Amino acid sequence: MKRHVFVASLVSTVLAGSAFALSIGDKAPSTSVKMKNVDGREISIADVAGKEGTLVIFSCNHCPFVKAWQGRIASIGNAAKSKGVGVIVINSNDPTSYPEDSFGEMQKRAEQLGFTFPYVVDATSDVARAFGATRTPEAFLFDKDGKLVYHGAIDDSKNADQVTKHYLQDAVDALIAGKEVGTKETKFVGCGIKFRAKG
Amino acid sequence: MRKIWLAGLTFFLAAFLIACGRTTPVRVEDVRVTPVTAADIRRAVSNAGAKAVLVNMWATWCGPCREEFPALVRVAHKYQDEGLKVMLVSADDSTDMAAIRKFLAEQGVDFPAYIKAEKDQPFIDGLDKRWTGALPATFIYDGAGKLCDFWEGSASFNVFEQKVVEALGQQAKPTGGNP
Repeated sequence: MKRHVFVASLVSTVLAGSAFALSIGDKAPSTSVKMKNVDGREISIADVAGKEGTLVIFSCNHCPFVKAWQGRIASIGNAAKSKGVGVIVINSNDPTSYPEDSFGEMQKRAEQLGFTFPYVVDATSDVARAFGATRTPEAFLFDKDGKLVYHGAIDDSKNADQVTKHYLQDAVDALIAGKEVGTKETKFVGCGIKFRAKG
Repeated sequence: MRKIWLAGLTFFLAAFLIACGRTTPVRVEDVRVTPVTAADIRRAVSNAGAKAVLVNMWATWCGPCREEFPALVRVAHKYQDEGLKVMLVSADDSTDMAAIRKFLAEQGVDFPAYIKAEKDQPFIDGLDKRWTGALPATFIYDGAGKLCDFWEGSASFNVFEQKVVEALGQQAKPTGGNP
């Protein structure tokens, strides 16, 4: 019996980050949580909210999928911000496992990629938990009322030259145009978020 | 005579290593990796003729996947004679085949392995809509092909063994080596 309880608790620990996910229409959670930006300032999701909506992307530095998509994240994010969509990229990974995900490396990466939007540290991983985010890079797009209108992949291929569906770009364009987002949810294989242990 | 003696020694060494829960070396050229879609996997699970099937999604670049791999291979070897089939499915690009085969050989994978050959969305939903796409991910099916268990994230040998034993409807086998 003890063994069963032990195994059950171990599995539930393993699954701690993936038991819940936001649904389309849900309000953005944890919007007032302050997170340290690469410029040293403490910033929340509410602080960056734009007049057209808000784009939240869970990302990191080390993940090969993030590396494949990071140029497209910079491009879409910078363009969206210039058109009135607030943008914030959140690193919820515990850098203990991957030093490449440390704050110093985040600063370098944001500069290399030319982010014009915040790249912040979710120091407890609780923001990712509140969103039900499980992998990187995972996008959540909210309208001006703070309701989720798109959740999922940046596009349909890790390889930029094989993309046929520009999910996030299309969703941002629809949001800015005041139209309903066509494809609202997509899935992709990505790196699991390396959640910090619950405090 | 010398060949027979060497063959016998190799056999006993391999048996000893397996009994200790350690993997035997596999040559890279002997590693088989077959491209699969989600439908292929579901068909293979249903037609496995096994008492239980464990499907694990992994990738060479995925740290937690690499960490749990020895436990997966160990449970595959320990329960293969009890009717367990393990399907290790790589989510790497097909261009990474050399790295995949090298890793599988190092891990002692002496049974067929697979690589995802379908776009993410249909592949993920084709396996199970609850899977977000995060790696690693493990699916355990019973002999009838019914999904018994599923989780995202890495697990220990004890967890894999417990889940497999439940699917097989057995008690855990005594083991050599550490849990």
